[in-house]
Amino acid sequence: MAVKYEKVKAVEKEHAVVDGVDVSGHWNRMFEQRVIFEYTPELIEKVASIPNAESFANCYQCAKCVAVCPVDVVGNYGPRKLYRYAQTGTDLTEAPELWLCTTCANCLRVCPKEVNMVKIMPAAREQAILDGKFVPPELQQAFENTAKSGNPLGQPQRKRDAWIQNAGVPIPIIKDLGRPVDVLWYVGSYPSYHPRGIDAASAAARIFTALGIDFAVLGKEEKDDADSQRLAGEKGLFEMMAEHNIATFNSYEWKELVVTGPHELNAFKNVYPKYGFERPVLHYTTFLARYLDQLKPLLKHEVNVKVTYHDPCYLGRHNGEYEAPRKLLEAIPGVELVEMSRNRENGYCCGGGGGGMWMDSFTAKHTKMRLSEKRAMEAASTGANVLAVACPFEVSRFEDAVKSTGNEHVTVNDILELLDRSMRGEQ
Amino acid sequence: MTSNKVLVIGGGPAGLEAARSVAELGGEAILIEKRERLGGTPDRENYAKLTHHWRDASEAMAELASAVTSNANVQVKYQAEVKRMSGSAGNFEVQIEAGGAAESLNVGAVIVATGFQHFDPGRATQYYNYYSFPDVITLTDLEKMLKEHNVVRPSNGEAPKKIAFIQCVGSRDRQIGNEYCSKVCCGIASKQAIELREQLPDSKVFIFYIDMRMYGYWENEIYWPAQEKYKVNYIKGVISEVLRKGDQLLIRGEDTTMSRPMEVTMDMVVLSVGMEPSAGTRAVAQLLGIQQNKYGFIEAGGTSGLDPVATSVPGIFVAGAASGPSDLDDSISEAGLAAARAVASVRKVMA
Repeated sequence: MAVKYEKVKAVEKEHAVVDGVDVSGHWNRMFEQRVIFEYTPELIEKVASIPNAESFANCYQCAKCVAVCPVDVVGNYGPRKLYRYAQTGTDLTEAPELWLCTTCANCLRVCPKEVNMVKIMPAAREQAILDGKFVPPELQQAFENTAKSGNPLGQPQRKRDAWIQNAGVPIPIIKDLGRPVDVLWYVGSYPSYHPRGIDAASAAARIFTALGIDFAVLGKEEKDDADSQRLAGEKGLFEMMAEHNIATFNSYEWKELVVTGPHELNAFKNVYPKYGFERPVLHYTTFLARYLDQLKPLLKHEVNVKVTYHDPCYLGRHNGEYEAPRKLLEAIPGVELVEMSRNRENGYCCGGGGGGMWMDSFTAKHTKMRLSEKRAMEAASTGANVLAVACPFEVSRFEDAVKSTGNEHVTVNDILELLDRSMRGEQ
Repeated sequence: MTSNKVLVIGGGPAGLEAARSVAELGGEAILIEKRERLGGTPDRENYAKLTHHWRDASEAMAELASAVTSNANVQVKYQAEVKRMSGSAGNFEVQIEAGGAAESLNVGAVIVATGFQHFDPGRATQYYNYYSFPDVITLTDLEKMLKEHNVVRPSNGEAPKKIAFIQCVGSRDRQIGNEYCSKVCCGIASKQAIELREQLPDSKVFIFYIDMRMYGYWENEIYWPAQEKYKVNYIKGVISEVLRKGDQLLIRGEDTTMSRPMEVTMDMVVLSVGMEPSAGTRAVAQLLGIQQNKYGFIEAGGTSGLDPVATSVPGIFVAGAASGPSDLDDSISEAGLAAARAVASVRKVMA
């Protein structure tokens, strides 16, 4: 019989001594008081009075959010609980719960009261940061990396285009090209630096080239979109990066901006307009789906795999693109596409959004397993041997997750890699 | 002798509206009221604002009353009670006593609008200590305070800082014998919570409930603003006992959505008492020989179940809370239907 996981809300006093015995550490939660002696509506108001977090006060405890909250599946969470925690003594701005939300927006999808955690969480986190409250150190590190190096990985800016050398096709840098292009391709930080991200970026370059697309990249001028940093509470950092990126985008002539990652799509399409940047932005799946007729003849080699596709929250729920990735996968000869039980609008989050990408160790202390592990198990249960993704955060997350859950037989691939494999055959 | 007159028993909202409607339909109504004033329970119990249109209750009741007193086709008899009745539809002989004098009336139809009374919290099975602790009050007690803009703790005359409403007092309870939902208390408690927050902006207001039953537009007109705008705290889990703690009240219950016990101090506790048939409803039902349900309300619905104003006796109709928990909208609607049925009934007999 499966062990029932019951995680009580932790008090986690850093230093606790009971009867002379030092019980410091997160396990001293067993001393948490059970009886509610006071209600604290002022702590609901503390959150709801932060601009953009007003809807926090509107929860009427229907609990529809909890069942669809990916964090509750692996812990004890959910927006309606956060409301109650606040009402019963928890200051959300200094609680671990503040950092567990991935802003996946599945709660908002079902919320009858339109309690919007996608707005509440970044606002409350920003307040916590401003007030000098606890910030998970690894997240702090990602913030600092972004500020210093222009990317959350902390890689040097001058190496941002180093991957280009090994892509196998010439990749024009717009500055060197000196002429307008049809497509400005924003590569993104993980595709520029992470080995598995580079695999996807290189595949994209080969596909664009094969399709004869007039494209160029920004090269060393490209900096992180910082949308996830914004959602993790660093609005100031986001604005700094936005200022740089918008100036860079505006200094060249191009018709469309194509991005590798859904988080970049969200930043440029939904948030940058507030800062004066309103240009056509497309995720690569949407962009390539437009070229299906030209693409299909290029997909010469069979890729005989059973694929299940994971909807990235920021491509699906946040931006409504569910079909393009599936159309691309179905275009690949040999691919059998199967769906996980939670898909499209109800897709399960990988845990990487909202800054979760950089808080895995912190999150692990407050959940029974990683969201990526839960999702990897769900993917494996379909019988698929390939888990296809369309977000640069996901390849590394899911590769770790299939290993840690004993599902090494499932390979994790970006859709770009599968298209590239069909185009070129096994390399 | 057949009569085209309609006797309306009770001068509350339902009775007033029934009498007015009978007259407007071209009939003649005799309205008898036990008290020396019209306006029924909203008047007698000093209601402040009405749920859900936020109208001043005295003003609204005065309007209903003047529509009747200014109508030549309605005769109003104060301090009047039914003593005996005989006959049948089209020809009822009713003995009444009005202002101490016996009188005999010949009417063609009767509309019973004798209403409800608030549940006596002394009968609650929980230890709410209404009769022991001055700061435990009922919805009606608070309504009076709100009307006077003088919400204070009866124990010390100070403004309460923390106020808890306890829902379903005397309703939905097999042991008490009132298994039904009183229908209006969720809305009234929420309305009062809003008024409390308006009159005492520094107060914290809590509503402890089993289910919030906010029918129709009460949801968006009362419940949502109460929570979203007026910051009323709704907590699922009804209170089991009210104890004394220092000069405060300690409420004990379970906070069900947290699955935690709760022992919280309050300055004032408001019992959301439900509805029971009034003494008048019980007495009139007996005198008129109309069937009551197991709770003492007048059995309504007719054989079809689709006639909410029909009683077990042809020619006798019922409107408002005499037949069960009812809000003002329902009472007024039923009064109109009862008037229509009563007028149709006497016309049929006269024809």
